[in-house]
Amino acid sequence: MTDLTAGLLAGTLDLLILKTLSFGALHGYGIAQNIRRFSGDALRVEEGSLYPALQRMQVKGWVRSQLQRTPTGRTGRYYELTDDGRTQLGHESESFLRSAAATTRVLRSTAG
Amino acid sequence: MTLRELIGRLAAWRRREELDRELTDELQEHLTLLEEEYEREGLSPAEARAAAHRRLGHLASTRAESRDAWGFPALERRLQDLRYALRGLRRSPGFTVAAILTLALGIGANAAMFAVLDRVMFRPYPLLRDPSTVNRVYLQTTFQGRRSTNTVFPYTRFADLQRETQSFSHYAAVSEWRFAVGRGDDTRVRKVAGVSAAFFGFFDAAPVHGRYFTASEDALPLGTTVAVISAAFWRREFGGDDVVGRQLKVGSLDYRIVGVAPADFVGTVSGEPPEVFVPITTIAANLGPYSRDTYWLDYRWDWVEMLVRRKPGVSVEAANADLTQAYVRSRAQARELNPRVMADSLVQPRGLAGPVKTAAGPERGDDATVLLWVSGVAIVVLLIACASVANLMVARLLQRRREVSIRLALGVSRRRLLAQFIAESLLLSALGLAAGLVFAQWSGTLIRALLLPEGSAFNLAQDARTFAVGIALVLLTTLLTALGPMVIAGRGELGAMLRGGGRDGAARRSRVRSALLVFQVALSVVLLIGAGLFVRSFGAARALPLGYDAGPVVEAVLDARGESLGDEQQAQLQRQMLEAAEAIPGVEAATTMNTRLFRSNTADLWVPGVDSVASLGRFNFQLGSPSYFQVMRIAIIRGRGFDASDRQGSVRVAIVSEAMAERLWPDREALGQCLHVSLGDGGPAIGAPCTTVVGIAGNTRQQALVDDDPMLTYYLVAEQFAPGALLPIALRLRTSDPTAHVERIRAALTRAMPGDGLAVVRPMQEMVDNQSSAWRLGATLFTMFGGLALLVASVGLYGVISYDVTTRAHELGLRRALGAQAGDVLRLVVGQGLRVTALGVIVGALLALGASRWVEPLLFRVRATDPVTYAAVLGTMLAVALVASLVPARRALGADPMQALRGE
Repeated sequence: MTDLTAGLLAGTLDLLILKTLSFGALHGYGIAQNIRRFSGDALRVEEGSLYPALQRMQVKGWVRSQLQRTPTGRTGRYYELTDDGRTQLGHESESFLRSAAATTRVLRSTAG
Repeated sequence: MTLRELIGRLAAWRRREELDRELTDELQEHLTLLEEEYEREGLSPAEARAAAHRRLGHLASTRAESRDAWGFPALERRLQDLRYALRGLRRSPGFTVAAILTLALGIGANAAMFAVLDRVMFRPYPLLRDPSTVNRVYLQTTFQGRRSTNTVFPYTRFADLQRETQSFSHYAAVSEWRFAVGRGDDTRVRKVAGVSAAFFGFFDAAPVHGRYFTASEDALPLGTTVAVISAAFWRREFGGDDVVGRQLKVGSLDYRIVGVAPADFVGTVSGEPPEVFVPITTIAANLGPYSRDTYWLDYRWDWVEMLVRRKPGVSVEAANADLTQAYVRSRAQARELNPRVMADSLVQPRGLAGPVKTAAGPERGDDATVLLWVSGVAIVVLLIACASVANLMVARLLQRRREVSIRLALGVSRRRLLAQFIAESLLLSALGLAAGLVFAQWSGTLIRALLLPEGSAFNLAQDARTFAVGIALVLLTTLLTALGPMVIAGRGELGAMLRGGGRDGAARRSRVRSALLVFQVALSVVLLIGAGLFVRSFGAARALPLGYDAGPVVEAVLDARGESLGDEQQAQLQRQMLEAAEAIPGVEAATTMNTRLFRSNTADLWVPGVDSVASLGRFNFQLGSPSYFQVMRIAIIRGRGFDASDRQGSVRVAIVSEAMAERLWPDREALGQCLHVSLGDGGPAIGAPCTTVVGIAGNTRQQALVDDDPMLTYYLVAEQFAPGALLPIALRLRTSDPTAHVERIRAALTRAMPGDGLAVVRPMQEMVDNQSSAWRLGATLFTMFGGLALLVASVGLYGVISYDVTTRAHELGLRRALGAQAGDVLRLVVGQGLRVTALGVIVGALLALGASRWVEPLLFRVRATDPVTYAAVLGTMLAVALVASLVPARRALGADPMQALRGE
């Protein structure tokens, strides 16, 4: 399992959060769970980076939040994508896929 | 940061406390969910709890990081640092006051010097439109390698340059005078500017009343007598009434007031603003019929300054070339009238479109040069102050090492620690600026009196440019004073020092402090040497034998103000005035004179047997009455002085100075020789009657204080050579303080003048003092700043040594306990202080020697390497160091050696 930390993959963390939220509103715990689940247990979000990222994205206007009742009956803060967030997701996934493809090509290249 | 993000941050910042609460709840909720998850996986509640905490990481730091998204974390941290610094400073008031005062001296001195330099050299005149395109015209000639630059020239030259150039859209001639203005009791001598009608077009300054005068009122050969008055004059003398159309007597002519200039309008003068502006074509008429009839025709009289505005797109270089060509043509014109105008090939005439302020121009004069030097000195004082404060800050850092180490242990980053040092420096510098501006403004009277032309305004508080420079100085001092702690922290010495406790860090940290101290001592030595050199120059200038004694003499310039008198009446008036002067109580003797001190008058001179008198030097003449030599106390070495028999109509006689006799008749007796003199009205000198030399007078410095050449002077009898003139009168008083009698004499002489006529009286010594003003200025300011530097450096020395003694108290006590004598300890401590000082003194002396080449031209009869000055300064510095280290050394002796032993 790989821990996503604030260093190298910070941009990727934003992307993963945006993608996760594109399926519907979630609270922080849910976002962490979903990233882990979607990645087939390969990626784990460090909670210490998750919350600062969420605050940042709120200020940037990509994400908004409101208090809702959780399925377990408690009150939790649910995050959802704004229209800007959706646009941002489009841009970021596009550029991520492009650079991933390029990186892959480099890695698979053979001499000559 | 996008606008949207900015708004988001602002919005979040406004409700940050609420957001913080919500975040805390949210993280708690997350923790609970994690715990439940771990319990589901089979961990015990306690284990689950621990694991959940591990996962979420440090709760507090997660919160802190999340908070960074709200508001402006960097800014908030800086504010926090400032608050922290403020608390720290408040805890040690002694350090704070010392640092602020030291910086205030440095910053205040620089702010004040900038304010002065700005006024004298840089700041454009108020209301001047588009100052970058406005130039003053400078005319240069270079004769036998000596360049002379003129900003004042004949009106005819101004007219020629205007006619012959194409580079400029506006031309104005300007000339400043002091004329009697008003009638009767209200008459005062005021500054009057003669200006071209086009002058007002250089400014964005509509008249507040009436209008400015027009080109047709400023026409050759004689302008219309109309005047524009300044707003200050209008308010003070007319109470702001409607004055347009009223009559105002200015000098010898009656003018009609046509307008009032706006409040800020000062034209292009330095110092006291003019109160009346009149067409420049009326100035000559004001001075008399001769100047009125000739000023626009010949090239004899230099009196006009010239302003131009370059046309759009015309570079300064192009304008210079244009002016040079026009100057050459104008010289050709002048040569037609006077064949003695030298060939262009000999003098390389050049015209320059230079800065409007002459102090910034090609020939700035000694005063402005000294001003630039002193500004350099002010910067040195600032550097010394910074070194001193940096030193104090290092000491303080060492005292606070426990606090610092605790903060480092708590995870405060090194960068943050540095930011806090800087915040402290910034705070000190800003407070230093505030105190410095108060200090500079407070000493403003002194500064104005010393450095600015009479009548200049000087208010730092309302001066945005000075304030901006002050802010820049604060940033500079912040960096410089934070440097000491930063060097220590940056070199990783902090940790070592902290670990080592008090004792073994001592050697290393004192190296930084000693370096700062050497720097301070060295710069102080440089300043003190500068001070010493200027003091000695000033002393040498004052000690010069003048050949006369101006001390108790006052001069009275008589102004008949246009009362038209015939030659005979004028001669009679002159006699009456001389008698009136002699009749004033307290007057020992009075004489007429035509050449005031440090002015020069030459006449066409022919001497039988001498080929070309002009090639032997510049011979100045002085007209006087019989008591001239008594009034001036000029010695008669051989022959006789003037006496009552030398009158109009009797045989013409002259007295020549020793230097002149030697120059004209090197191997003959001068007494009895013939001078043929023409004062300009009676044709060439060769046809003039013989004036017999009857006496040889001692050499005098009447034309220039320091130049030896003008001691070529000859004295003629006023009545024989200028019977119809109204000459100034010199009065010798029986008192050593003529200033106290100036007003009484002015009143008495003014009463004796007919009509609106008046006398302007001032002590002659003023003019002598003005001649040595550059050295006096240098001596005063260097001494002031040198004294400050000495004070700051000795306090720094004392601080360092006394701190070392405190930290070494233990060691010194042990030495005593083990048998060291008091003398040994004294030698140890004092020796350390003297070593540092000696090093600084050597470095300083070397720096001063290196700079001597540039100071030399500013000095007078003192070499820049003057051994007396060097010895005195080095001695003073070492003596001060001795005292500064003796005090803490004696304290070290007072410590009880047994205490040190018990501590071991």
